This record gives sequence, C-alpha cells and structure tokens, in this order.
Amino acid sequence: MTRDWWKHLILILGMIVVIAPFYLMVSYSFKSPGEIERGEGGFFGRQELMVDERCVSLRAPDRKDIAAASQRFPGQTENAIRTALIAEAKSACSMRPVVFNYTKAFSEAPLLRYLLNGIAVTVSIFLIQAVVALPAAYALAKLKFWGREAVFGLVLFCLLIPVHAIALPLYIILAKLGLTNTYAALVVPWTISVFGIFLMRQFFMTVPDDLIDAARMDGMGEFAIVWRVMLPTAIPALLAFAIFSIVAHWNDYFWPRIVVTGNRDLFTPPLGLREFKGDGDGSYFGPMMATATVIVTPLIVAFLLAQKRFIEGITLSGMK
Amino acid sequence: MTELSIVNVTKRFDETDVLKGVSLDIADGEFVSLVGPSGCGKSTLLRIIAGLEAQTSGDIRIAGQSVVDRRAADRNLSMVFQSYALYPHLSVADNIAVPLKMRRLSRLQRLPLAARLLPSGRAASRKIEYDVHQAAKMLEIEHLLNRKPGQLSGGQRQRVALGRALVREPAAFLLDEPLSNLDAKLRVQTRAEIAQLHRRLRATFVYVTHDQVEAMTMSDRIAVMMGGRILQCATPETIYEDPDHIDVAEFICAHKINILPVEIADDGQLHLLDRRLELSVVGAGRGVGSLGLRPEALRLAGENAPIRGHVVHRENLGAELFVQVEVAALKERVTLRANPEQRRALQLGSPVGLEFDPAKALLFDPHGKRLRQLRPTFAAKPEVA
Ligand SMILES: Nc1ncnc2c1ncn2[C@@H]1O[C@H](COP(=O)(O)OP(=O)(O)OP(=O)(O)O)[C@@H](O)[C@H]1O
Ligand SMILES: [Mg+2]
Repeated sequence: MTRDWWKHLILILGMIVVIAPFYLMVSYSFKSPGEIERGEGGFFGRQELMVDERCVSLRAPDRKDIAAASQRFPGQTENAIRTALIAEAKSACSMRPVVFNYTKAFSEAPLLRYLLNGIAVTVSIFLIQAVVALPAAYALAKLKFWGREAVFGLVLFCLLIPVHAIALPLYIILAKLGLTNTYAALVVPWTISVFGIFLMRQFFMTVPDDLIDAARMDGMGEFAIVWRVMLPTAIPALLAFAIFSIVAHWNDYFWPRIVVTGNRDLFTPPLGLREFKGDGDGSYFGPMMATATVIVTPLIVAFLLAQKRFIEGITLSGMK
Repeated sequence: MTELSIVNVTKRFDETDVLKGVSLDIADGEFVSLVGPSGCGKSTLLRIIAGLEAQTSGDIRIAGQSVVDRRAADRNLSMVFQSYALYPHLSVADNIAVPLKMRRLSRLQRLPLAARLLPSGRAASRKIEYDVHQAAKMLEIEHLLNRKPGQLSGGQRQRVALGRALVREPAAFLLDEPLSNLDAKLRVQTRAEIAQLHRRLRATFVYVTHDQVEAMTMSDRIAVMMGGRILQCATPETIYEDPDHIDVAEFICAHKINILPVEIADDGQLHLLDRRLELSVVGAGRGVGSLGLRPEALRLAGENAPIRGHVVHRENLGAELFVQVEVAALKERVTLRANPEQRRALQLGSPVGLEFDPAKALLFDPHGKRLRQLRPTFAAKPEVA
C-alpha cells in the first residue's frame, strides 16, 4: 500500500485535472457575478440576495407608473413615489444567485426546446446508425460475397477520414439539396457510421458460425438472423457504440453550428451556450455555466443509471 | 415418404477436393451413420445435405425431389450441431419454440406482443407452447424450460438442442457429432436415448460421428468415409465382419485389428511369415497382400502354429484378456483376445503360438481392396488344423 503511494498520487492528480473544469462549471453556476469575478465564496458561494440590474432597469418607473401609483402613496411627492417604486422593483428583482443563474438559463434561451432537439437528434442518429451498421457488419463478418475484403478495406479507409475535412463538401451538398436549417441536416450526414460498422463487425466475428447455421435451419432469413440472433447477442457491443455515438453527437458543437444558421428552433444544447457569449453588460458566466450544467446532466444521469452495462460494453470492445 | 438421396456430390474448397463424388441412398426411417477420421468431409457432406453449404456438383434429393436450389430453411430438415448452437439470449422454452414460431406464425404475429393481442396469434402460440411442452417431456427437460442456456450443463444443453430439432416434424434429422462434448458416461446414456428416440419417431436420421462405437450401436447402416469418399455403406455387422477395404477394417474395430503381410503366389497360394497357409485366393495376381485378423479371430495353439512369439504386454479387462505378442519377423505386435482362464499360459515373456480361424481371416490386395475368394488348400503334410 505505502509502496504504491505514487500510483495513487498520479491517479489523484489525473482525477483533479479531469474533474477541475466540471467543478468550476458547477460552482460558477451557483455563484453571483461578483463572486465569480472576485473568485470567492467557496463552492456554493454565499448565496446572498443579489439584484438583477437588468430586471430593475426594465422596471424603471416612468410618468404613467408614478401617476398610477399615486393612490398607493397618498400625499407624497413624485420623487418620493419614484424612489419607493424603484425600491419595490429592486426587492422584486432580487433573488439568490442559484435561482438567478438557472432561471436565466431557461428564460434567456429556450433551453428546454434545445434539450428536446438534442434528444431527438442524438436518438435518431443512433437508431439509424444501428439500423445501417448491424446488417452491414453482419454481411462483412459472416456472409461470403465477391468483394467483401474490398468493402471492408473501404470501411477501414473511411475510419481515417476526419469529420472536419469533409464538412465543407457535405455542407455544399446539403445546401444544394436545400436541406440546411432542417433536422435532416443535423441527422443525415451521421447515419452511416463506419466506426459502428467496424465495431459491430469485430464483435460479430466472435459469434460462432454454428449459431447462424442453426438459425437458418430454424427457418430464419438473413435479416431475421440480424435482428433476432445477432442483435440480442451483441447488446454489450451495441451499448459501447451507443456511448460513443450519443456522447459525440450530444456534445457536438461544430456541425450544428455549420448547418443551423438562422433558425433557433433547431438549436441543439451546445448551441444554446452561444446565447450568452459576449453579452454587453458584464459577464454572464453564472447563467452560462448553469446552461452547461443542464446540458451535461442528462449524459451523467444516463451514465450513472446504466453504469454497469456501459463498463461491460467498454471493456468488451477493448478486448476484441 | 422421406427418403434421402445423395447423388455424386463433390465439393471443392479453393484448391482442395473435400468430397470426391459421394453417393448414398437413405431409406425412409433409416438411421445412417457417417463415420470416418477427422477431416474426411463428414460435416461438409452433412452441411451440403442441409443446404448450409453449396456442393460443387451433384444432386441432393429429398423424397425424390431435387432440393439443390432450396434454401436451408425450405428443405424441412432439422440439424443438431456439435456445439449445440443454442440462442444464448432465449430461455430453453423459447429456444425450442423458435423453429415453430418461424414456420407457423406470420411476420405480423411474430412481432412482440402480437402473439397476445391478435386472436389468431393467441391460438397459434398456445399450440406452440403445447408442442414445446410435449418435446420437453419426451426429453425430460420440463423443469429447465425457464432457464437460459448458460445455466445448463453440457448434457442438458444437448437435450435442448435435440428438443429444438425434434419439436417440429422434419423430413429428416441431421446430427453432427452431438455427443462429442459429453463425458463418457453421459455419452453412453444419451446414445441409447437417441437410438430409442429414433425407434419412437421412425424418422430418417443421418448421424455424423468419428466414434465407431456410436456408429456400431445406433445405426441401421454405417457409411464409412475416408478421404472424401464413401468406402462402404452397410449394416454394422457387415461392416465389421465383411469390410470391403482395409481402411474400413482398420477404422471399425473395438480393438485394433492385426494386419499381417502375406505373400500371394502365382497360383493364389498364401504364405504368412514364410509358411504356407492352408488358404489360397482366386483371381488375384502375385504380390504382397495384407491379412487382417481381429484379436478374437486368433486363438492359442501349440508349437507348430503359424504365428509364434512371446507375450510382451497384457490388458486384463475382467471379462476378457488382451495380450500383445511380439513376433520376431513383424514390426507391429499382434494382439490376441483370450479368456481370463488362460492367464496362466500368458505370463509376460512366455512363448506362445497363435493360429486363426480361416473363416474370419480378411484378405486385402496391395491396394487395400478386399479379396473375398478364399479357398482352403490342404497342406502337403498335415500341420495344425
Ligand atoms: N469453409 C472451408 N474452407 C476451406 N476448407 C474447408 C472448409 N470447411 C471444411 N474445410 C476442409 O474440408 C475438410 C473436411 O472438413 P469437415 O469439417 O467436413 O471434416 P469432418 O469429417 O467433419 O472432420 P471432424 O471429424 O474433425 O469434424 C477439412 O480438410 C477442412 O479443412
Ligand atoms: Mg465435423
């Protein structure tokens, strides 16, 4: 134990490096702008009441408000009424920093809509990827046909192509088809995952041939074999692939930024973060970090729920 | 009627001819074993019959109809695999039900829940459930129906695989070494059960094995395959007592057969170890043939016996005693089956003389083909009978 202290030290250091940004993100999402700027208040901040200046300036009383309020403050001068109204507005606009940050996150941008967009996009990408990759991987692993090696060579070759290299041609194709600013633009380019095909093919290679022959004897066609025999035996591998696919596309900022230009209804969660960039009056780090926290939470919750099976899937894909 | 015909089937993988023209007719309800050493093409032949592999040339007929252009699923054959090949994600009951579901239910009825929601599906699935139970009862695996294959022992898995094959009524059963993963005791037991099952179902069985005991005990006929050919196909008795080829005689034996070189003279007279035998053969040329003598064809004889040597090894099996005798002029030892009462005379090192029953002697020509035309010849001076 004591001899291994340096291993633990390295692990702890590594953990700190990995955790630090998350720690900062969550912590900032709790704090008031002042605390963030001055770097004080510990993890949760002091949670003192703060005043939202923007809210106050929006509620600044004009002449009509003062006239309307004169009944409530009988026998007072206009100025006195004004200061009273401003004080009222201030107390109405003051709240705890957490509440401020998170309400801002949801009110400043339609974050809920972005989250639903994110779910719709990532889930459809993954489902279509699976529908394409499973039969393709089955054919590459278990069927004999002319040119199989060549096709598999192409799959390997495609693994080497970086996404960013083909982004522009893809964009042009989509633009020519008039598909930019649609859900299709977010989903379609990702539906054929060579990585998925490769991963599932490697897994299917380990499925014994006898099992497939038995299925044929039992009266299954080739597609029935894919869905009724290969898919259920490949659940761990498919889960491993699901992690890669869903995490990658949920967090993707690059591609949605390119194909969704005007229409905010199509924004995915990472694009939501842009709503807070470079706001004129002071830094909006608090709400921004609150948004970021909201965005990563679904992934973390999903991971915790399915942790055991995920780890199974990862180690398995690592072995093969 | 579901007789099965294999007509001149050949199979070539890349550059090697695995099957070199195999023909075999199997009658309705017959139990035929395919035996042969590893790699002789048994599994390949079975898979061609099943439709899992395409033959290079030749024809497969089921009930008189050629099935070469039918898929495996449409040939109505059941197959049991050496590895059992159970669906790991399905329970035993579901495993057995798969062939019925794929055949009796429509695509719609097979959808999850549809079996419960559609009235027609409900009736069909109740019938399937009943049939699965019947099959499970026959194989005594009813108590395992809810388990997954991973929770079963080898013998239990083997039964489930059998159940999945016999739950529907196929034209024929194809079994590829179904017992090779079982331990010796279970193998003997299951062997008897499969034979019983065959008698009960009266179905056509093609049974691949490389274990000749299995073949001898279970089959109506045995087809001995070697090097991509069927050397002989006959009843177990015929194969044992009257083999066509030296390889068949050597392969099918409880104890290794003794092969002794014999000289065939011009007139057909046989000489063993430079001694004239009271046997001659008709219609064979001059040359060196082989005389096959099973251990039980040999018996102890006196000083004048044609084969003489001394005991080098004994195996006492209780009911019988096997003795290996070293003969000076032979490279290989000669094995003799003796009665345990003869133990005294067969001490290690003691000299023995052996003679054989001419009726049980198997003579083969230099190429290994059997020479059947043996005649007794009488010795010039009477030696030992
Ligand atoms: N798909 C294939 N491609 C190339 N050669 C093959 C293929 N399948 C079988 N063979 C070859 O064909 C020959 C016969 O194989 P087969 O499996 O029929 O033997 P077997 O008699 O069943 O042997 P065993 O008793 O070991 O199961 C072997 O030499 C094998 O290497
Ligand atoms: Mg085999």
